[in-house]
Amino acid sequence: MRRRPAADDDAAVIVGSRREPERFAVLFDRHAPHIHRYLARRTGRQVAGDLVAETFLAAFAKRDRYDPGHADARPWLYGIATNLVNQHHRDEARQYRIRQAATAEPEVPGHADRVAADVTAQAMRALLDAALAALAAGDRDVLLLIAWEQLSHQEVSRALDIPVGTVRSRLNRARAKTRQVLAGTDAAETYEELTTNE
Amino acid sequence: MNEMELLSELAQGTPLPVPAELDAARARLVAAIAADPAARGVAGEGGVAGAADPAAAEAAVAEAAVAQPYPATGEPGEFALPPAPAPVLTAVKFMHAGAIGTAAGLILLLAFSWDLNLYRLTLLGHRYTTAQLSHLRPLLIALAVAYGLALIALWLWMARATSQGKNWARILSTVLLALANLQLIGNHGVAQVFYAVLTWLTGLPAVWLLWRPASSAFFKSARAPRSRPPSQISGP
Repeated sequence: MRRRPAADDDAAVIVGSRREPERFAVLFDRHAPHIHRYLARRTGRQVAGDLVAETFLAAFAKRDRYDPGHADARPWLYGIATNLVNQHHRDEARQYRIRQAATAEPEVPGHADRVAADVTAQAMRALLDAALAALAAGDRDVLLLIAWEQLSHQEVSRALDIPVGTVRSRLNRARAKTRQVLAGTDAAETYEELTTNE
Repeated sequence: MNEMELLSELAQGTPLPVPAELDAARARLVAAIAADPAARGVAGEGGVAGAADPAAAEAAVAEAAVAQPYPATGEPGEFALPPAPAPVLTAVKFMHAGAIGTAAGLILLLAFSWDLNLYRLTLLGHRYTTAQLSHLRPLLIALAVAYGLALIALWLWMARATSQGKNWARILSTVLLALANLQLIGNHGVAQVFYAVLTWLTGLPAVWLLWRPASSAFFKSARAPRSRPPSQISGP
């Protein structure tokens, strides 16, 4: 049974924007900060600014294809954003390795002070960057959408256009491989410490 | 703390952007909105700040939710098909491309049919002598035209049925793609090779797209009973 859309949900905004395009700005104001943060987590803040614009431009261009049966447009937007990450940053794994090798390099002004003051966080970042770099792109997409953006399995399925079963299998594989990589690094003791402290 | 919690902890290091960080992206979107043809008709009625009128939005959504994306059969109580996902729409475009390519090939074949040697080479390979071909040419041209038109009709039929969510269409499309290889059995000329290559270049991606998860969901939902829920009959 099809859902009856509410007046102010994302589907209403998108459908309304087909005849009155300026309404699409509502979607930007509603979701751009979180999409930007997701992109910043995956690519760094400098690239995120461009990619968030590309994400919403692509969404605007494809708004006619949006299924009004889905009230929440976040999975759709995250899917577009993830595709852009993968299109423009095929070398994402290499970037993780570069960042891992230079974890003291600040991403934004003021970040260095925070990182210097929190050695544990830095070590954790290096460990996880190494683990993420070792994952297949599809597995990484699933893992990060769930762990970072708190999307459900169904939402990730929508975002990446894959069956829910595939989401589960990719998540299990990514988690297992992450554990394996973390345990196999030189900083395994740090990981052990982190995982046993709480 | 497991690896998911570690990842979540890591993510906390990236805060939400300050509004100024989004200004450039918003400006690009606003420019795209302003350039959209639909925006020109409502320019000056609230700008691009996006202040949506809830009542109008609800009406628009309700209209879209019950709109027939494809020609309706006119049966009472029939409910709209779900919108075809992008893979299905792209597959339909590939099928249309196949029809256009077939038509172009047919036109080229007829254009060169006056030249017996070329015709023999393009259509039949070297199976017939020039004398035989001269005698059979009207029949062969008629068969070629019929074959070409049948192929075009087949492409268009599959495209239409696919866009209407007919599950049998994607199964039949897959079977037809496999059968297309029969064109290459025996003596063959440029025309057969052309049609085979055309079929594979357009048919293979189309069939692949038709079996994507999003497409499967579309065909599955199109197969489901489509009587309109009572909650959608009433209301504005």
